[in-house]
Amino acid sequence: MKSSIKLIMKPKWDEIEKIRNKSSNFLVSQGISNNSIQALTMVISELVENSVKYGKFLSPKNTVIINIHIDENIVTTEVINPVDNTVFKHLKKLDKTIQWIRGFQNPLEAYTERLRVVSKKPLNDEDSGLGLVRIAYEGKAILDFFVSEDNFLNVSALSNS
Amino acid sequence: MNQNFVEIKANLIEGKTTIPIDVKYTSKYSFLIRFLNSNSFKNGAEFSKLIIQMNGRSFELGRCQFLSEPNIDGYAGRLIFINDIYDIESLMFDNKIVRLQNACLNLPLILNLKHNIAESFHKYTANLTYDLSVYKNLFDNLDAEYSKEPEHIRNSLQQTVINTIGREFMGFLDDKLLELEQIIRNFSKDQHKDHGFYFRKQLWNTIICAPFMTRTNLKPRGYAGDSDMMSMIYANDYRGNSTYSKLMHKHPLEQPAAQAVRNRRKIIAKMIRNLNKDSNRGNNKKLKILSVACGPACEIQDVLISTKDCKKFHFVLLDQDRTALYEAARLIDHTEKKLDTKIAVDYLNESVRTMLAAPFLKNKLGQFNFIYSMGLFDYLLPPVASAVIGKLYQLLKPGGQMLIGNFHVSNPSKYYMEYWLDWAIYYRTEEDFKSLLMDAPSADVDLFFEDAGIQMFLHVKKKSKPDFDSKNIQ
Ligand SMILES: Nc1ncnc2c1ncn2[C@@H]1O[C@H](COP(=O)(O)OP(=O)(O)OP(=O)(O)O)[C@@H](O)[C@H]1O
Ligand SMILES: [Mg+2]
Repeated sequence: MKSSIKLIMKPKWDEIEKIRNKSSNFLVSQGISNNSIQALTMVISELVENSVKYGKFLSPKNTVIINIHIDENIVTTEVINPVDNTVFKHLKKLDKTIQWIRGFQNPLEAYTERLRVVSKKPLNDEDSGLGLVRIAYEGKAILDFFVSEDNFLNVSALSNS
Repeated sequence: MNQNFVEIKANLIEGKTTIPIDVKYTSKYSFLIRFLNSNSFKNGAEFSKLIIQMNGRSFELGRCQFLSEPNIDGYAGRLIFINDIYDIESLMFDNKIVRLQNACLNLPLILNLKHNIAESFHKYTANLTYDLSVYKNLFDNLDAEYSKEPEHIRNSLQQTVINTIGREFMGFLDDKLLELEQIIRNFSKDQHKDHGFYFRKQLWNTIICAPFMTRTNLKPRGYAGDSDMMSMIYANDYRGNSTYSKLMHKHPLEQPAAQAVRNRRKIIAKMIRNLNKDSNRGNNKKLKILSVACGPACEIQDVLISTKDCKKFHFVLLDQDRTALYEAARLIDHTEKKLDTKIAVDYLNESVRTMLAAPFLKNKLGQFNFIYSMGLFDYLLPPVASAVIGKLYQLLKPGGQMLIGNFHVSNPSKYYMEYWLDWAIYYRTEEDFKSLLMDAPSADVDLFFEDAGIQMFLHVKKKSKPDFDSKNIQ
């Protein structure tokens, strides 16, 4: 069974809930199990939050694109947003973090390590740095990304449904 | 001076009594205190709470004890905490209450994992741990037997032990691996993750004996398959500071997946040398070669055998890891000295994940006669792998060729790698691999395996003209 959906979102915090609903409706329509839908919706929210937080939306036309693709029992989610040079530092961190998480056969190791570090972080530090490890551990998804030639960041998460 | 070193107003609480004090940050786990209103307390006095007012907020810390230490800058002594251990530094500088015991928060998550472990696996791991400790004892005793001999005698004796009992032990490890596979072969993905985790916790002492296993588990450079691990696979020798360590180091290097890595190095070298022959027929321009995620690029040593070879190629080596590029440069330097010539090489320190947007790719990289990437696609998910391979294809000159490696789903060392080495990669079937090239319709594609039959290669030729002669390759 193959099917996919493309969702487009304005880079605003209050749009995230709508995307959660739309994607979960799509997953329901495809007969995905409740547990998987919960996990996938969490994965999508974390990715979209990051897009809103770190993306560079210089023109009103710039949006966040969410592609969900189901092929047999594999669900691939791609979340795409524009970036520019000023995001470079974050892309480096994203690269490092994703490789670090994927370096563990069991993401529980990355998750507990992050929790330990986070419990020591200052209150005023707004980035808890837990989003990606939650995707890997709670969402059971494998993460990857690339930046396209025309400066669009594409973060993908691959899960078993 | 930082304002966090100044005195701060606080109150100690005991029962219904509030005792005003001044506190000063003095060490990570204690405060200096001064009692106000001419209060005084005996050494060892306990209080139920300390409440600190700081930056307009109130922080409440639990049970504490006064330790009298007269004569420190006019303070009465120190306050230490006896139920919870607070990180005073975090409190003063970050305004956050952190308990040392936070380190235990994860404990239930990790401890409870053992309830997901199959009974047969518990038994397997317990037996293996027992057997390994018996073997370790045996080898350590043998090491001790001849430890007083001169070095060359010691080495020779150790080699004999390795070649005899050592090889028997390796056979035992092989058998245990087969047994492991029997137990876990029907596990789900989640079960593999939990059992792998449990396995490594149980066998940690053995893992850290072996330099190769230690490195694959700890991944000191933040990713699996770094250039040091590659060098160990290529060397395939006995390393470690005891006979037991040496054997545990060598065992994974003899697995089929490691052999496949050694095989692929030869394949690349042969293919590049064949390109070289090909170019004999034509112009004198250097052949441009791009290695993506090059690592130490050891295969180049197998390509450049004569001075004449060196004149024929221009290598561009790309890797995210500076250390790997330094190692590659050292090897190139060595070859230059050995052959007394110069080699054209450019080094690019860039991640493949951000490479497509990198300015150098747009402007000055040019096009290539040959592009190869061996240990990279095993880490790229399909959307990323397609984008990267599509771009690499664009970077080929008409008539140029590309060789991309990926481990096949049937890798017989898969569970060894996952359970012992904590090394999980993205496996592909032939179809998965070929489908990455959807956007290159004018490509001439074939797929083959190295001799161990574990690693696949996608061999892509970009058409130059209709009568392009493709027979010269392989
Ligand atoms: N879409 C993105 N664009 C650029 N950088 C990103 C993106 N997503 C993540 N990152 C980088 O990766 C880091 C880790 O992301 P993660 O989601 O784990 O944590 P966070 O967003 O900082 O905190 P949290 O998700 O817990 O609120 C981020 O701090 C950021 O530097
Ligand atoms: Mg986040």
